Amino acid sequence: MPPQRSLWNGSLSFGLVNVPVELVSAARDLDYHFNELHEKDKARIEQRRFCSEEDVEVTWEEVAHSYDLDGKKVVVTDEELGSVQPRKTRTIDIEAFVDLDQIDPIFFDHPYFLAPAGESEGTLRAYRLLVSAMEKSERAALGRFVMRTKEYLAAIRVRDGALTLTTMRFHDEVRPTKQIPTGGKKPSKKQLDQAVALIEELATDWDPGSYEDCYRERLRRVIDDKRKRRKIEAPEPEREPSATPDLMAALEQTLANARAGRPIRESENGDGELRDLDRDELYERATKAGVKGRSKMSKKQLIKALSDDS
Amino acid sequence: MAPRSIWNGTVTFGLVNVPIKLYSATESKTVHFHEVHVRDGAQIENRRYCSREDKEVDYDDVVKGYEVSEGNYVVLEKDEIKAAAGDRGKVVHLSEFVPAEEIDPVFYERTYYVGSRDEPDAYRLLHEALKKTGRAGIGRFSFHDREYLVALRALDDVLALHTLRFHDETVSGDDLEIDGGSRRPSKQEVDMAGRLVDSLAKDFKPDDWQDTYREAVLDLIKRKAKGEEIDLAAEEEPAHGDDLAAALEASLGSGS
Repeated sequence: MPPQRSLWNGSLSFGLVNVPVELVSAARDLDYHFNELHEKDKARIEQRRFCSEEDVEVTWEEVAHSYDLDGKKVVVTDEELGSVQPRKTRTIDIEAFVDLDQIDPIFFDHPYFLAPAGESEGTLRAYRLLVSAMEKSERAALGRFVMRTKEYLAAIRVRDGALTLTTMRFHDEVRPTKQIPTGGKKPSKKQLDQAVALIEELATDWDPGSYEDCYRERLRRVIDDKRKRRKIEAPEPEREPSATPDLMAALEQTLANARAGRPIRESENGDGELRDLDRDELYERATKAGVKGRSKMSKKQLIKALSDDS
Repeated sequence: MAPRSIWNGTVTFGLVNVPIKLYSATESKTVHFHEVHVRDGAQIENRRYCSREDKEVDYDDVVKGYEVSEGNYVVLEKDEIKAAAGDRGKVVHLSEFVPAEEIDPVFYERTYYVGSRDEPDAYRLLHEALKKTGRAGIGRFSFHDREYLVALRALDDVLALHTLRFHDETVSGDDLEIDGGSRRPSKQEVDMAGRLVDSLAKDFKPDDWQDTYREAVLDLIKRKAKGEEIDLAAEEEPAHGDDLAAALEASLGSGS
């Protein structure tokens, strides 16, 4: 993997200690990106700015920013916007330390790493000092910094021996939950016990490496098929199941399935769970089961072959 | 005003089907501007131009291409890109349940609130069971023709659905190759830094943290609207302290 590009340079300020740091993304964009092309000649499309009044092309330097203030158009320039940037635009000031588990994941936005900027002995030592002290306290530091034209609230903590920074949403950017419909009867103790038992039966550790991005892989195949002029067909989407009429019976059947090591959505007719899988997953099972002729089978044929097999 | 749902579907938990609605849980409050021409204040329009012909192109004549080598594109129709969405439709199957606190913050991407629909009893049951176990259900979710890995957990009185990054989309600390330097910080320095951390410890209260920059930008707009002259003076940066121990001691002295 190529090294991550530095997105911001500045210093992390902790009391009177300043550690020169650079910000690098801790997320990698592995998506397939598409370009807009002109259908006729397959040349790239360019976006050009035009003044809607004069119908002439406008350069970036001639662009100002307009804000609609209660119906009144207010225009500000880049320089004026720059003047309100906070005093220490190149500093992340640590203002407080909080327990990480007090921050709900809903506040997390983008993850970054803070790496020491430069190789000077003083910088590396100050960086190491912060890592050691924070690792020991198990707290996350909260601070603010400005990147491009936005101020961010950020949580800084130690991960893999390095300082990691996650930008956060401000409290008024998280919507209230009050009006979200919930309702429902309070479950009986028996129902809740069964549901909890089922969760415990399906409990596992969080192992991120066990989940692959199937979408990315399918998109890669679509691009490849198109390149080789093969026909591309969209699979039929799974039918949405209807609401469960008898919760207790459904819980009991699922729990019995889980305890017997059967697929959890197996119902009376046996193929219920298979119908829930997409073709890729069915194909994977067919490979494991050694189903012959599987590569040419439709989803329906795969389900039939797999349920006959069991 | 009641929030508007953005998706209807069903979460399954074994043979229990839970009909749900999805709502955005977050909204950006960043101050957004329109681009205008500085000379006459007229709106800027973005127009599509063919880079070869130097002529404006109608949106209907635009296709999507994936660049396989420089200048060579595989052109895909919208429906062909859709084919990659898979056949999951409107169903999220929870297949595993993990301790919610084990999921590192680095994996969280977007959050949606999950509301009940039609049969709220199943919703309530799933909510209470997740709350009691402290676990998050892991599944996959198709939205706008793209598939996501998701965690469903109890958040206060509702269920929250988080889209998660895949493991290979996150960077590990080892990839940074941070130079350890030759001199480790002394025990005294680590202890002092630890005391400084403790002295700044507090509870996290989200509304203690206001977006002061957003406020400053809105204030600038109001001053400008009144016709005030804007002072463009920039401010300077702090110097870097080199003497760690002295800086720490001074911080503790002023902080406590």
